[in-house]
Amino acid sequence: MTTILLVEDDKNQRLLYEQELSLEGYEVVTASNGREALEKVQVQLPDIVIMDINMPKMDGIEAIGKILSKNKEIPVIINTAYSNYKDNYMSWAADAYIVKSSDLSELKDTIKKVLANRAEDS
Amino acid sequence: MSLQNLQTHDKIFTIILAGGQGERLYPLTKDRAKPAVPFGGIYRIIDFTLSNCLNSGLRKIVVLTQYKSFSLDKHLRLGWNIFNNELNEYIEQIPPQQRISDQWYQGTADAVYQNIYTLEKEQPEMVLILSGDHVYKMDYSNMILFHKENEADITVACMEVPINEGKRFGVIKTNEENRITGFHEKPSEPSPSPNNPEAVLASMGIYLFNTRTLVKAIIDDAKQNTNHDFGKNIIPGMIQLKRVYAYPFGDENNYWRDIGTLDAYWEANMDLVQASPEFNIYDKDWPIRTYKKQYPPAKTVFDKNLPDGRTDMILNSTISEGCIISGAKVEGCVLSPDVIIDSRSEIYDSIIMESVRIGKNVKIRKAIIDKYVTIPDNFNIGYDPEEDTKHFTITDSGIVVVRKGMHLI
Repeated sequence: MTTILLVEDDKNQRLLYEQELSLEGYEVVTASNGREALEKVQVQLPDIVIMDINMPKMDGIEAIGKILSKNKEIPVIINTAYSNYKDNYMSWAADAYIVKSSDLSELKDTIKKVLANRAEDS
Repeated sequence: MSLQNLQTHDKIFTIILAGGQGERLYPLTKDRAKPAVPFGGIYRIIDFTLSNCLNSGLRKIVVLTQYKSFSLDKHLRLGWNIFNNELNEYIEQIPPQQRISDQWYQGTADAVYQNIYTLEKEQPEMVLILSGDHVYKMDYSNMILFHKENEADITVACMEVPINEGKRFGVIKTNEENRITGFHEKPSEPSPSPNNPEAVLASMGIYLFNTRTLVKAIIDDAKQNTNHDFGKNIIPGMIQLKRVYAYPFGDENNYWRDIGTLDAYWEANMDLVQASPEFNIYDKDWPIRTYKKQYPPAKTVFDKNLPDGRTDMILNSTISEGCIISGAKVEGCVLSPDVIIDSRSEIYDSIIMESVRIGKNVKIRKAIIDKYVTIPDNFNIGYDPEEDTKHFTITDSGIVVVRKGMHLI
């Protein structure tokens, strides 16, 4: 089963994403900030990471850099309420950048697309 | 080259790579980073690149350091704190921050990748990547102009080197428009330059990138298992995808040296003391800046009341301030400040660094004497390889290197 690491500090959103993505057939592991995400990655390597940016303790940009420095292969999708993090060059390290919306179809499509691209590459 | 039409380039961000370990320059790099190794009497190696930046109108410069950066940091702080921060002009020294990775720099591209955040604030149009351990004079403005005229994404500075030296360099193939069609880092059988069958077109390790191209390239590279090196990975990978051009470097003597080894270091210093030196540091249109301590003028001593021929003889040498040569013979040498050489000593073809004390009747030939070494009376260096090997480093071509602060008895 494909495992998703969902990194999101807002509890309600975390529950929503977890439920929606589980219904899609994914196994969902959650983390509530960047630092927790780093720990989770070390315990169990997910197939894909969905990363919020603006979080306490360690933000998503820093976490992406640190995760990639440990594991170069892992695909990351940025999922944030803000579009202006595109100016941050480290955000370019993500496979996709999604601005949050109440409709989760873009996120779901992007997950499929990114996983398919990775499968093609390897 | 001239400073008469100097224009500053505020859209260009310059990164000087100064993080190499410089193992092949050991023991000169025992206590200092390679760019901080003294050169030409009063300079440090990095002064040449920084002077080129200054004279080319580049005003936003970061120096990426890593190993043993204390002496480099001090030199930059004391000698190069010359730009006006209020005009957003600076030379900043950046040690590894471990913002992205908790490892040290894995290669030249990784060094830039780990400092990618420095580009964000400036949002420059282009990024110029330079090395802190080359000796040359170059007006980067011409390369920038060339890059713009060709609407290039990446421009690599290159020059012709003899074909038998080709395997030390990144060797470039170009078409008639100087667009790069092939790039091989240190090939075992380098292919000759189109204009000259005896030479190859060698990369000088100087790269000008459009910022977006650079950022994408180093991020993609960071996500792969490569050497994370501009010459080995980034440039060869970009040739098919982007407009990559070769800028032909040329000054009056085509002088450019990569100070990679102790022999290369010695030879480049010796290039300064020829009757008409191959590398001209006396060009008022291209001043080389450094940091200098205050010393009194250089002095020679001759005592006519002494009958034993204590006459100074100084030939084809550069003598820095504060030196006292007291009835000795100095030929083909580069003397840093505050060197004292006592009577009847003879020094040939050597580099003598700051505050070295040389006693009476000493003979030195083809040597590099690092700072604060004291050489007692009647001591010989460079005449008996067997004896020299016991105490000193000896290079392939027989140059004897005495490490910093060594007290000989």
